[in-house]
Amino acid sequence: MNAQRPDPLPHQGPAPGPSPGEAPAPNPPPRLRPQSRHALAVLALILLALPYALGNDYLLLLFNIIALNALVVLGLNLLIGCAGQISLGHAAFYGLGAYLGAIAGSTWGWPLPAALLFALMLTGLIGWLLAVPTLRLEGHYLVMATLGFNIIVTIAINQLEPFTGGPSGLAGIAPLQAGGFLIDSDRRFYFFIWGLFLVLFAATLNLTDSRVGRALQAIHDNELAAGAMGVACHRYKVRVFVLSTLYAALAGFCYAHYVSFISPKTFDIFYSVQVVTMVVIGGMGNLWGGLVGAALITALPELLHRFEDLHVLIYGLILTGALVFVPRGLVPSGLALLRRLRDAAAATPATDAADAPGVAAAWAPPAIEPAPAAALPDSLGSPGTVLEPLLTIHNLSKHFGGLQAIHQVSMTVASGEMVALIGPNGAGKTTLLNIISGLIEPSAGRLRFRGTRLEGLRPHAIAALGIGRTFQAVQHFRHLNVLGNLLLGYHTRGRAGFLGCAWRSPAARREARRIAAQARAELRRVGLEGTAEHSVDQLSLVQQKVLEIARTLALEPALLLLDEPVAGLNPRESEQLMEWIGQLRAAGLGIVLVEHDMNMVMRYADRVVVLQHGAKIADGPPRLIQRDPKVIAAYLGTGAPGEVPLEP
Amino acid sequence: MSLHLLPQFIVSGVTNGSVYALIALGFCLIQNATGLVNFAQGDFVMLGAMIAVSLYQAWGLALPIAFPLAVISVAMIGMLLERGPIRWSRNRDVLTLVMVTVGASISLRGAGMVIWGKGERMLPAFGGDTPILIQGAAIMPQTLWILGISCLVLSALFIFYRFTLVGKAMRAVADNPYGARLIGISERRMVALAFAMSGAMGALAGILITPLTGMNYSAGLMLGLKGFAGAILGGYGSTPGAVLGGLLLGVLEALGAGFISSAYKDAFAFLVLLAILFVKPAGLFGAEPAKRL
Repeated sequence: MNAQRPDPLPHQGPAPGPSPGEAPAPNPPPRLRPQSRHALAVLALILLALPYALGNDYLLLLFNIIALNALVVLGLNLLIGCAGQISLGHAAFYGLGAYLGAIAGSTWGWPLPAALLFALMLTGLIGWLLAVPTLRLEGHYLVMATLGFNIIVTIAINQLEPFTGGPSGLAGIAPLQAGGFLIDSDRRFYFFIWGLFLVLFAATLNLTDSRVGRALQAIHDNELAAGAMGVACHRYKVRVFVLSTLYAALAGFCYAHYVSFISPKTFDIFYSVQVVTMVVIGGMGNLWGGLVGAALITALPELLHRFEDLHVLIYGLILTGALVFVPRGLVPSGLALLRRLRDAAAATPATDAADAPGVAAAWAPPAIEPAPAAALPDSLGSPGTVLEPLLTIHNLSKHFGGLQAIHQVSMTVASGEMVALIGPNGAGKTTLLNIISGLIEPSAGRLRFRGTRLEGLRPHAIAALGIGRTFQAVQHFRHLNVLGNLLLGYHTRGRAGFLGCAWRSPAARREARRIAAQARAELRRVGLEGTAEHSVDQLSLVQQKVLEIARTLALEPALLLLDEPVAGLNPRESEQLMEWIGQLRAAGLGIVLVEHDMNMVMRYADRVVVLQHGAKIADGPPRLIQRDPKVIAAYLGTGAPGEVPLEP
Repeated sequence: MSLHLLPQFIVSGVTNGSVYALIALGFCLIQNATGLVNFAQGDFVMLGAMIAVSLYQAWGLALPIAFPLAVISVAMIGMLLERGPIRWSRNRDVLTLVMVTVGASISLRGAGMVIWGKGERMLPAFGGDTPILIQGAAIMPQTLWILGISCLVLSALFIFYRFTLVGKAMRAVADNPYGARLIGISERRMVALAFAMSGAMGALAGILITPLTGMNYSAGLMLGLKGFAGAILGGYGSTPGAVLGGLLLGVLEALGAGFISSAYKDAFAFLVLLAILFVKPAGLFGAEPAKRL
């Protein structure tokens, strides 16, 4: 039977878990978080009152430009802050939206909706073509590609005179209209653009606080671990980039139809730098910060105009100063300052000390009912039946240049079996795990997981097949809290996409509710209940390791790859953790354990595979391995079979 | 088409290319010492040229004196950029530091506008204005000066990296800053030196190109971006890559402008950049980026 895990809906609760009745009934997630809802309501009220308070239409013009910039910044912030990718070409997408819309609408006489659709689709397509190859690479290649692209677009707009009017620009663009209502004054456009912005702002806030937003944050924090949790990193990065180009194109479209005249100067590289600056000044990843940044940086040149020739210099100095002294961004730093002031006012010295503990308290291993049915792959019977291989590795080799890291290794792992992988440092243990989990392509050999070939699959696809792994150094997502980290483990069991998350469709809300309930139940079961809202750094090492394993179990894996799970723990903690891992094995999971602690290996493993210099030198039950002269030689470097160094 | 113009295009391509190569080297020096992209590199180019113009015209210094003085001044400015904003920055995150250089770039440009105004400035050509005719190509003496000085700088850089203790220390810091600190190399001093050298490279490029094209307060942006494109073309961070990438970019640009369309001259550099990112992102001479786990 194929290992594909289809719809998780009729699921019986988390792997070895309590009955669903025990789960607390969490509040259904509302359309919008209450805090955001209140803040948005306040913002909307202020914006509504503003035109009446100002009375000056020049200032309305300024506010309209702020809204347009804020729209571009909204998408860019999602890209920079949440997904960790930078674009220095958003002026080009802004310009494409403006020019394509204006050419289609005014020159070719298309109806407005058609022109808008044309501008958005073509811009999105171009963004996609740019993103697919560049985002496949590690590092900041997107910056360079978008930068080059921006310059090309500016030059093309200047040169394609028949279409764009060249350097002198394109004039006479008709104003926007909706059902006969013309948006032809500053005041009308003000209400239109801020209304549009608020709707998209709310949707984007939703998006960041959802399955998709969590995945994006995880990619930014730790792409490696995100892939191991089944997050399709490349696809997500491409999508969020395209989304951000669409925001920019929409803003450009509105801009062109608002000012009715566009020229290439507006869309040059300087604007791209400006919008990135708005994001950085306001606070990367903080959407409210983006809004503040957009308002400040847009207004700044207006305020500096009376300095005439000095204004560029002052602008640059303010920018540099803000970056140097308030690097986290104005909004996050401001909030932190407020919190500190409030705490200083409220706190007596005693509470400071009393606050921290309780978090890093002792951890007790979860009680696991033996062999719950849910953990067993459907294709297998109870753990007592004949063990058929879950994972088969045949003649696997990997070389890095001239270095033979893995040399023709063959091994199998069955359901309900714990195979320990041991060997001196540099023997290739972690490399082998990396190959199984898809981080490294093998040079030769075969890997089959329940009959499916693993070679050539991306890490997230392998995770989705049911192979979970933990890392030698615990890997967490530092911008997500404990619950958020665990929730990421349920990523493959959700379906909600960008649209569903942004608009909080009923299906997406149901799914979020179900998964949150499961995660909370799981958190309680593994004994981390009180820490749900804490940051991961506040957990003790053993708690972090438990969290990492719990997160991996949320994938419902059939095979678990554990890379030195007890390294760094004290003996009692090691014991407890291994006890738990042993119970998982008893529940039917196949486990590959890389471990240096021979006591643990000999006590818990069903079988031991010994690697040396990338080759397998022994494979058998612990008792025999302990006496194997080759193994002893590998560890001691001598062939004295009398001494048994591996005896626990 | 006008194939007989080919030698002329190659000459002008190699001339511009040498200047791009010097700018690319500036990027490369800072990249290797700190891992940062210095967006103020183009403004170093502008500053070098403008300071030389001031020294020569306003102060009446002879060119052979104004030239080195301008280079030294910009080297100091580069060092100040590192000693000041970059070192003060409370957030060591690469993105923030890169944005700090963007801020510095705008500030320098703003200062340039205040000091020298918006007009175009010129320097006289070093060797007079009588072209030398070789094989159907008219070569300005300035071109020979550019090629000669670029070669000289390259050789000096090569000797510096290979044979001097400071140069070796600098490579050590680039390779492994932690290890370099452990054996007593001052990482800070090396980074400051890298910024100074990078400022000098930029200034040199600016002074060399000004007699051919003129200079204004905002011209540094495009020159800087082309140097950056050249550095990527050759393989970002690779010293020989920066030189060859810059030269190649200059030649491709000249050929594109000559045979396809001079209106799109500036676009060719960036089309080449996009093509190389899509096809061989490590650059022509760079090593494949190692995947770290």
